[in-house]
Amino acid sequence: MNPLPKRKPNWRPYLWLLPSILLISVFVIFPILIVFRLSFSEISKAGVVGGFIGFQNYIDAVNLPAFPTVMMNTFWWVLSVVGLSTLLGFIIALVLNQKFRGRKIARSILIFPWATSLVIQASVWNYIIKYEYGNLNSVLLNLGIIKEAINWRSSYQIEFVWECAVGIFVTIPFVAFCVLSGLQSIDESLYESATVDGAGFWDKLFNITVPLVRPALSVSTVLNIIYVFNSFPIVYTMTKGAPANKTDTMITYLYMLSFYDRKKGPANALSVIGFLILCLCAGIYMISVMRKEEAL
Amino acid sequence: MKKIAAFVLSLSLALGLAAAPAPAAEAGDITLDVIICQYGPNTNDWFLGTGMNGTNFVDKFEAENPGIKLNLDVVSWNDVYTEVDTRIANHNAPDILNIDVFANYANEGLLLPVSDYCPEELFADYFPSFIDQSVIDDTVWAVPDLASARALFYNVDIFEEVGVEVPTTWAELRDVSQAIVDYYEGEVYPWGIDMTTDEGQAAFAYYTWGNGGGFVDENGEWAVNSPENAEAIQFALDLVADGYTNPNPATQTRYDLQDMFAAGKLAMVIAPNQLPTYVADKGGEINMATANIPANEGKASSSVGVMDRVMAFRDDEAPDQAARNEAIGKFLTFFYNPENYVGWVSMEGFLPAVNSAVEALVEADPSFEAWLDVLGGCQFYPTAKAEWDQVKQGVIKAEQSALAGGDIQAELDALQAEITK
Repeated sequence: MNPLPKRKPNWRPYLWLLPSILLISVFVIFPILIVFRLSFSEISKAGVVGGFIGFQNYIDAVNLPAFPTVMMNTFWWVLSVVGLSTLLGFIIALVLNQKFRGRKIARSILIFPWATSLVIQASVWNYIIKYEYGNLNSVLLNLGIIKEAINWRSSYQIEFVWECAVGIFVTIPFVAFCVLSGLQSIDESLYESATVDGAGFWDKLFNITVPLVRPALSVSTVLNIIYVFNSFPIVYTMTKGAPANKTDTMITYLYMLSFYDRKKGPANALSVIGFLILCLCAGIYMISVMRKEEAL
Repeated sequence: MKKIAAFVLSLSLALGLAAAPAPAAEAGDITLDVIICQYGPNTNDWFLGTGMNGTNFVDKFEAENPGIKLNLDVVSWNDVYTEVDTRIANHNAPDILNIDVFANYANEGLLLPVSDYCPEELFADYFPSFIDQSVIDDTVWAVPDLASARALFYNVDIFEEVGVEVPTTWAELRDVSQAIVDYYEGEVYPWGIDMTTDEGQAAFAYYTWGNGGGFVDENGEWAVNSPENAEAIQFALDLVADGYTNPNPATQTRYDLQDMFAAGKLAMVIAPNQLPTYVADKGGEINMATANIPANEGKASSSVGVMDRVMAFRDDEAPDQAARNEAIGKFLTFFYNPENYVGWVSMEGFLPAVNSAVEALVEADPSFEAWLDVLGGCQFYPTAKAEWDQVKQGVIKAEQSALAGGDIQAELDALQAEITK
């Protein structure tokens, strides 16, 4: 019996991975480690890093008066933007998967909100809903739908709803394209045989479409939770968290805390808290999805 | 072989990103890292492009001062605090910084005293009242680079149309506002208020200084929660609640107000001396005039002066401290030379900080003279106090909380307790 030939250690894959590993280390892992270190350090108003102070920054951060409001805002922001953009993106993907004239154009138009910079999007929406000479009021007044201009930003609660609405608007294309790619990989014959067996639209939707696009939907949801949680430009451009942090989410708040209020220690601590929350959310979601996929 | 070549190429690209070569400087040269704030669309061109009669500040300076190189960045006001803080945290502070605040840097021992680098002749040229704003513990830590003053601008046509006079007191302001609201049935806002994170502290100053209050008491101690202050801010909040102002003061910045003023949609706005230029740039043709900011009955009106600074950071590792200080001094001397400085100040429509520039500026634009008088009577923010950042953000939050329904006295009490604990 011939012994198995001894395999030469193959170093090539590691060598090919090295540039990526280097880049990720320099631009991702290293900054994360620095933020962890800073969150346990005393930091002066001018940014000079002092000694180790244990969990003091974390205690200061959670005791800030705006902390509960900001956490609730972040929760509603992520839930509404991810939840509604997933639902609406799914519906749009179903529509775009049908055969109709101008489908290619419709798909191209859909990508616009996603391809445009978020700062530009948010600024444009700021103009649209402006009370004094906003496009929305102009259009409605010209069509005779309203008699007087409406203040679309009359309270901070409404402003926050607008921020969420813009968040949903810019996120829908991403979900729609993820789902669309999933839909296109479903074999047409499945629907044909289901039709022959007498299945209706809803039967086909819940028993064929949804289970088969679930992997695509899982990926888009996890990525969306991370993107939306970390999204800075919409809230910052539209309200800068005003009035008094009442429309801030965690990311905009920690920026304001660091560079406006100059509380850099607590801002670093909040950064770490946000990172851990995201790791937890993404972890739970991935585990639950993997279990379901194994069970299938 | 191709694979190895591709690998080497990608690796070198990756490493290249992290190690871009520094610009070459000859041995013996002193290189000064300078950060300048972007005041307007021309700043970058003036310092680095061709905006200085076909050349730029850096080239001209280096030609006239051999042996000194400038590594100069023009940074927007939105980014400059982030940029400076990050550089300080990385032990890479600039040599020369142009910004508004200085107290934190001075208190933490990061700055050089002005006397270490500023030539005596130049130092004597600054307006003394400006220098006083940059003193902590009898040491001057920064010099003023320019200033602007605020006044009340009003739309003369609207006032003539409605048949009212410019208000000088708060009571008159309410009467005039009501008359404008009645006449235009809400189409024109009488009064503009900006309580945003951009400039909410200016609103605090306009009203509290017009009511005998302010950020500090007569001894220079923090007194943000004085009854005069609470009364003053409540007066402003009532103007909002009664529909005399722009509807969303927490998110409508001074620039939004200036746009409304330029469009004839706002009758009165407190703005800096550059407003006429701003309105003209926007294509507005507004017949405007200036007046004192209205104050409460029996209280003096006070204008708000805003001043920015230039400061030098310590660099204990610099091999030749004396040569470095001398280079910084040469930079300042060159910057404030009327030949350069007058062009710089007038380009962006600011007011000068040195006497030697006044004559040339008034000659070029006689309206400067009136503004120089306004500047003489201005009050400034207490930026020399270490807690200023906290107070600035604190009063904005207090105003915004009160706009959202909170009690202004309680908000100010909480702020006072926080800054004096």
